[in-house]
Amino acid sequence: MFSCWTRRQKANMSKAKATQPQVIHKVIMVGSGGVGKSALTLQFMYDEFVEDYEPTKADSYRKKVVLDGEEVQIDILDTAGQEDYAAIRDNYFRSGEGFLCVFSITEQESFQATADFREQILRVKNDDNIPFLLVGNKADLEEKRQVTVDEAQQRAQQWSVPYVETSAKTRANVDKVFYDLMREIRSRKMEATRQSNGKPKKKKEKRRKCTLL
Amino acid sequence: MKKGGAAPLVTGVSPKEGPPGTRITIRGENLGCDIKDFIGLKICGVDCILSAEWKSPSKIIARSGPGKGKGDVIVITRTGGVGSCTVGFKGYFVQIGPLQDSAIWIDESQTVSIRHGRTQSPIFSKEDEDPLGISDEGNQAKFKEEELLEMFPDASGNMALQNFSPAWYLLENHHDTSFEDMKAGLAYMKRRATQRSEGPIAFVKSNLSSTLDCMESLDALHQQYCADDLRGDSVNQYAVLLMQAKSCADGLFKEVLGRKDKADSTRNALSVLQRFKFLFYLPLNIKRNIEKGDYNLVINDYVRARSLFAETQVQVFKKVYNEVERNIGEFREMLQQKLMELPNPLDEQKKLIRYLLSLECEGDPAWECLVNMQQWLTGILCTCKEDHIKEEQMSQTESEASMLKSPVSHMSIDTPKGKRRETNTSFKSTLSPDQSGWKFNTPQKILFIEELTDIMLENFPSFWKLGQAYFSGSLFVNVKENSERPQKTDSSKHSKFKQMVTDVISLFSNLVRAAFLPKSLENTPEENRKEFGIWRDNKQEIPGAWLPSGVRYVRNCVSSLSLLDLPGDCPTLIQDLALDMRTDCMVTLLKQAISDVKQLHLKETWAVETDDESGGTTQLPALFENIVNETIQHLHEVVVQNKVGEPEIFSQRTVQKDATVLCTQLLQAFAPCIHSLAFNPPFHSPEKSNSLPILTAEGKGTLGKDKVPVTDKRLIIMLSNCNHTMVRVIPRLVENLNKHGYVEMNKALRAAQDTYEDLDDSLFEAYVEEKSNPIVGAIEQNMYKGGFSWKTCGKPSGVRNYLKQVIMHMIEVHAEVFAVSPVFVTRVTQKVIEQVSEEFTRVIQCVTDHGKYGPVQARLELMALQETVSLYLTPHASKCFKEALGDLPEVKTEDRKLSEELLNKFKSQMKFQMMCFYGDSILRNSSEA
Repeated sequence: MFSCWTRRQKANMSKAKATQPQVIHKVIMVGSGGVGKSALTLQFMYDEFVEDYEPTKADSYRKKVVLDGEEVQIDILDTAGQEDYAAIRDNYFRSGEGFLCVFSITEQESFQATADFREQILRVKNDDNIPFLLVGNKADLEEKRQVTVDEAQQRAQQWSVPYVETSAKTRANVDKVFYDLMREIRSRKMEATRQSNGKPKKKKEKRRKCTLL
Repeated sequence: MKKGGAAPLVTGVSPKEGPPGTRITIRGENLGCDIKDFIGLKICGVDCILSAEWKSPSKIIARSGPGKGKGDVIVITRTGGVGSCTVGFKGYFVQIGPLQDSAIWIDESQTVSIRHGRTQSPIFSKEDEDPLGISDEGNQAKFKEEELLEMFPDASGNMALQNFSPAWYLLENHHDTSFEDMKAGLAYMKRRATQRSEGPIAFVKSNLSSTLDCMESLDALHQQYCADDLRGDSVNQYAVLLMQAKSCADGLFKEVLGRKDKADSTRNALSVLQRFKFLFYLPLNIKRNIEKGDYNLVINDYVRARSLFAETQVQVFKKVYNEVERNIGEFREMLQQKLMELPNPLDEQKKLIRYLLSLECEGDPAWECLVNMQQWLTGILCTCKEDHIKEEQMSQTESEASMLKSPVSHMSIDTPKGKRRETNTSFKSTLSPDQSGWKFNTPQKILFIEELTDIMLENFPSFWKLGQAYFSGSLFVNVKENSERPQKTDSSKHSKFKQMVTDVISLFSNLVRAAFLPKSLENTPEENRKEFGIWRDNKQEIPGAWLPSGVRYVRNCVSSLSLLDLPGDCPTLIQDLALDMRTDCMVTLLKQAISDVKQLHLKETWAVETDDESGGTTQLPALFENIVNETIQHLHEVVVQNKVGEPEIFSQRTVQKDATVLCTQLLQAFAPCIHSLAFNPPFHSPEKSNSLPILTAEGKGTLGKDKVPVTDKRLIIMLSNCNHTMVRVIPRLVENLNKHGYVEMNKALRAAQDTYEDLDDSLFEAYVEEKSNPIVGAIEQNMYKGGFSWKTCGKPSGVRNYLKQVIMHMIEVHAEVFAVSPVFVTRVTQKVIEQVSEEFTRVIQCVTDHGKYGPVQARLELMALQETVSLYLTPHASKCFKEALGDLPEVKTEDRKLSEELLNKFKSQMKFQMMCFYGDSILRNSSEA
């Protein structure tokens, strides 16, 4: 009897697991070339630090993680930082649910470029509150720092997004930025479901108004 | 679960899309525990295992195949089976234009045909369809074209047209878009505009085909015009314009073309470098290979380079080739130096010579090497000799110094015998332990011969073989090139080489002769002899025990040299040397043995050992036999026994004769020894101290004297020794000699036996004389003791005491002989009895006047004596007795009775004494039976 029950239980459980629609959070890495987007991603995904630099075109990663007790999947799109690929970015951005905007604290230009990226994201997503984290990478290279914590904080406040300093080399704050972003995405999704349940046609109406222009 | 058992899972691809052949980094879990475990990879359904490179269980690098569209990346492992993936790869085909950036290499020859690729490309690129960068999704309800035409007459929504109206466009495409979006779109368009505003080049680039089309049409127009307008005036204007347009167009592409030219020339240069990489690396490679010792490679490279570049006119090649030549020159010198370095294994030398030949070295390296080697060989042979002579002189002065220090050891060194020397030095070793040491060392000459033969054996064969190889031509690598040379060398150098070989061999043989057989060099000039070394001319310097080892070295050397098939009289030269050495050794050893034997009397200990076979002997005969046998054995091993190719030592008449004479002398040498021991023994013999080394000088004299027995005893012992030697030892030795190949030994046997028979006779006579004289001399005297007279004597009452005394004396002799050697008992006793009976007869016959009882008494005593010794009576003795009895006057019957009674009485009284003779005879009879 007991064993029979257990088996059924198990079957139920595995069935439940399999059938349960897996939540996927789509994260997009953005930022100038060479700031460490891929390094952060690989550190997060595989706990490895890649020393040699190879410009990314567009890499895709997905794995299961446990977010606050709930099993979800994180899908990471690691994009190209180089300007050469700027044209194809828009397409990628559209699918993103949350963005890690990365710059290198040792390179002022990369910090300046974050403004352009944010602008592009906001334009493509058409959403000021899109989950977004400003990430200052290469925090281990303190002696080469060019971007002060203050100015980065200031910009983050201006955008009302969190600012986190990470190091893909030492793995400092790596998990934190991804999990924080996923939490943001989750809360946004939950909010969206509530909204769509409550006022389903609101947005469309709003849009219709626009046509009057 | 086992780690390797889990199914592979791909969780990352980099990049996630690309045309076929894109290099993809695949990451994930359980991608195989090792490279063998990883057995399959599918990207978009295409098997890509061939291009895959397994890096780690979490990383694989592969190239995408011709899969199109989005698909899975599946890894298959042996342990985990077919895996799954959370990410996919998107394959697409791109037609990449000649001026477009591409991340991968495009084979343009296939895809870009001059005409087609261009015409296809649109005037505006794809992204221009959506200049604002805002998606038009959600704008389903479009305005109808009629409506728009109504609103904007004379206008159009097509951006390519001149009457383009932005309002029309916006209404047509973005009537549903918010104002913010519109603003963003504007910003996007502005940014794009700045990007595009690189100037006309960008525009021409993107509209290349159109531009070319224009040019071609214009050109065609021009042609047509020229054809139509014969005057050509109107055309000129256009022609000028066309030319301008053309030069303008050329100018636009100048940069590109320039780059292409540069790339071409770089590529050319690279390919030249690649093609002649070999040459440019050659100097370095040569050095490296020389360091590594890979000479063959160097030579091959060089030959190849020479054939390719020796005649080159190209400046760069010339420069590099010169460097190569320089390197090779150094290499050549190095090889030559190496070749001249000796000693060097034969193979190495051959190799070096071949290298040098293939490097086309000037001169004749092989011949130079041969000459060098011969000089070197001569040099070391001479040096060896010099060293050893010096060494010997040094040790000699040292020994002289030590002699001066201790006169005792000086004396001991003067004595030529090795054994004696050893004895004395050991005896005195407490005084000078350091100086005494050198005498035990191997003699210098033996060390010399050992080293000399070693040198010959080590180096000469390779010298000879190298020469052989040289003349047989096997040293020449390239026969074609050098075909004239070996023939040339053959005729001029063959005899020279022969001379060289002979020189070395004769030097060797002369060096050996100078050391061991100085006499054989006597007819060479003085200055030459000096060259071969003057050794201290003292034969005794080499103890006999060492000589055979010297001979063995020479023979070994000679026999291995003989195998070399040397030219001319070389074989004879060395064979003669060996034979002479052997003969010399044999003569020396035999002489040594003879002198050893002659010294044997000093070793007599007088301890008689008796055994049934040979009677009583001392150890001397055994020692003698030992010495001879050892000598024979020694000689057999090193001298007599023949090796392959050596002449029989006894085949030469002189040697044979010498050997026979020496052997005979050796066999006879023991006789004087025995003789001197028997007749004048050395009283103060050092052997006493030798056998009892602990007792020092004080005990020496007394003990030595005590040990030597009195003359008669000595005589009988020596007699026994002599007999034993003659009967047993000599035949045995002769047999042994015969067995070892010595010839005419019967002669030697006869001579030896004669010698020992003579000795035996003289010893026997001396002994018997010694023994019988006292007995015989006492008979007459004692017979008439107490005024006895045959005439007046009374009735006999028994045998008188004097006779008993005679008998006792004889018993004494008998016992003495028996104690030493029972074999001699009969012989000696008979002889003694003969003499006694002779004396008796003489005395009895001298009696002229017999009284009444005189004859009775005489008869009684004669009978008693006769009865007692009856067993030892010889015919001569019996005859004597008979004569004596016959001379006596006739006795009466009652007197005869009386004498018989008295005889019986005597017999019973003397029973024990008589038994001495009988018992012995019984014993002897039984032993003989």
